[in-house]
Amino acid sequence: MRSVRPAPISAFLFLFLALVGTAGCRRDDPATAGVPLVRVWCHQGQEAENQAMRAIADAFNVAHAGRARVEVTFFPDFQYNEKIAIAAAARDLPDALDLDGPLVARYVDAGLLAPLDAWFTPAELADFLPTIRTQGTIDGRLYALGAFDSAVVLYYDRELLAAAGVEPPPSGRGWTWNEFLAACEKLHASGVEPVAFHMNESADEWFTYAFSPVIWSNGGQLISSDGTSVRGVLASVENIAALQAWQAVFKNNYAATDPVDPDPFGSGRTAMDWSGHWMAPSHVRTKGAALGAMPLPRVGARSVAPCGSWCWGVSAQARHPELAALWLKWVTDPQHGIAPIVRANGAVPARRSALALFPEYQNLPYRLFREQLETSAQPRPRTPFYATLTQRFAGALRDIARGDEVAGRLQAAEREVQAVIDRRRPAAAPAAVSFSP
Amino acid sequence: MTSWKKAQSRAAPWFLLPALALLAMFVVWPMLRAFGWSFTNADLLAPEQARWSGLDNYSDLLADPRFRRAFGNTALFALLVVPIQTVLAFLLALWVNRPEPAWRWLRAAFFLPVIVSMPVLAVLWTILYQPAHGGETGLVNAALSLVGLPAQAWLRDPHLALPAIAAMSIWQGVGLQMMVFLAGLQGVSRELLDAARIDGATAGQRVRHIVVPALRNTIVFVITVTTILAFRIFVQPYLMTRGGPGNSTLTVVQSIYEITFLSQNLGRACAATLLFLLLVGGLTLLQRRFTREERT
Repeated sequence: MRSVRPAPISAFLFLFLALVGTAGCRRDDPATAGVPLVRVWCHQGQEAENQAMRAIADAFNVAHAGRARVEVTFFPDFQYNEKIAIAAAARDLPDALDLDGPLVARYVDAGLLAPLDAWFTPAELADFLPTIRTQGTIDGRLYALGAFDSAVVLYYDRELLAAAGVEPPPSGRGWTWNEFLAACEKLHASGVEPVAFHMNESADEWFTYAFSPVIWSNGGQLISSDGTSVRGVLASVENIAALQAWQAVFKNNYAATDPVDPDPFGSGRTAMDWSGHWMAPSHVRTKGAALGAMPLPRVGARSVAPCGSWCWGVSAQARHPELAALWLKWVTDPQHGIAPIVRANGAVPARRSALALFPEYQNLPYRLFREQLETSAQPRPRTPFYATLTQRFAGALRDIARGDEVAGRLQAAEREVQAVIDRRRPAAAPAAVSFSP
Repeated sequence: MTSWKKAQSRAAPWFLLPALALLAMFVVWPMLRAFGWSFTNADLLAPEQARWSGLDNYSDLLADPRFRRAFGNTALFALLVVPIQTVLAFLLALWVNRPEPAWRWLRAAFFLPVIVSMPVLAVLWTILYQPAHGGETGLVNAALSLVGLPAQAWLRDPHLALPAIAAMSIWQGVGLQMMVFLAGLQGVSRELLDAARIDGATAGQRVRHIVVPALRNTIVFVITVTTILAFRIFVQPYLMTRGGPGNSTLTVVQSIYEITFLSQNLGRACAATLLFLLLVGGLTLLQRRFTREERT
């Protein structure tokens, strides 16, 4: 009888697994041997955006041949933040990484990011839009800079408004909330659905991003200025009043609480669209001269616009921080970084010198994006508790849109967020770190 | 023992070794780590700075109204799904258990939702459950209006959202259990059924006295697996309601996800996971105690 010889088979299996395990490792290319490698992580966007990012990296490698080489790794958008958290726990972060703007404060709080102040001159920084600098500034130090920013406006169809007898405000100005409701009333009476709020958006972030300006415009806040307490802040009188005004849009059937159509404005179903810069090319195409855009309506005295986007940081454990900073300068360079990525993703260029490369920013709606970012935009709160805050606030907004009593629902959200803050281990909040704006 | 058998038993550990090594590395070791972390205040982004916090995580979780709500919702979901899905799967299996080829199509139709990706189904059912707005409504409400029932705001009514998701989950999962029952039915003795029929037993009597006892082990298996799957509910409510309205469809797995990746509180997340494991494991053991399999 043949006997099985297990040990060699088993050894072979292990060898095989070991080979498979190392198969992914790179062999040194003689041309780049000895050149320091900068590991870069990036979230995956649309294919055009990924291709642009690869081209930017290739151009960097050509321009810095013999000095530095970047290797960009893409991760799916929907689990990118989880990926960073896991890599941070395993002390396996890359040298430079792409970050979601409002989460920067949490990474700084955990000590994952290195300050960038030393790598950029004041003149260079002054060229960036103020919103981008504020978004990346935690406790007075700069930790992140982006190549582009974002904008939300109220798009409208001039013809549908005229047909309903609604007069849009003068260029560059927005409505008060009552003017907005009055316009909705007229549009509703004329038989057209007044406005799209995109309540079917699956990401929680849409709600906080797009509708926080409603409470900011009434003097409210999501969290205390130092980012450590929502008690008496999230369910403040100002916020309750602002969101009651917001709820009136749904109560009067001016906007759908459960829409299905992803672009009801483009398909001619609604007369106005509360939406972002990413819809501008499509709206310009479908509406042509009939397209109008105004700042978001305000509940209180001040008109406030949303802003913020993906940005870049350098890991505190970067093996080559100076080369990682070199990469950051490259991706935020008007010619080499901003122009190609913005041509691919349609976002708002984050530097004034880069804006000059885009002639469309002389015209609406693009001109309005820039004006807002220069004057009235406010970044989302910079707090280590942002991820929880935005999820619970988004949940409250969904319920309020569907008719929940505003004060009670905001108080419930406030209790839940405060519970998460209070449970925070004391070691994570050293007295020296504070989050003043 | 023959020399062949001896060689076999000498060889066995070597063949087990790779599997055991992988299990130890990817199952046992992480569970031990989780157990250790659950007694600390570990931060997901800086676990090495963890400090011992005793049973704080556990006592905190047990007192946390949101986590308790998640447990309550999940238990209610299981209570809705397990009996209905098991009985429905059994009835469907009895119905489609016919040899003619045409019935294959029906079997395939019932099984289809099992193989379609859950996110796709979640989006589909969100559209089906669409509440009435400006003269338009989802198919579910349209069907109700045909029989004269009023339209409901299924996913946004705190009392209806969880049952609505349970109904969708039963529809999605019943095909799998039906297949298990179908396989079991093939083992039911034809002779016994024919003999019962000749003796004048009605269909109901045959099911009760012959089919159900013969399928005892299958039923135990189906109930156990359905219970475990029901407790792990996450994707449907997360995609269809995000745990809302209020916290009415918040599940245990969603709250573990939130503690891990939003609060990034690793210690607490590990404690929550172990509590969850304890509950599901305990329930499974309890079930097996009361519905013991017959071994021959």
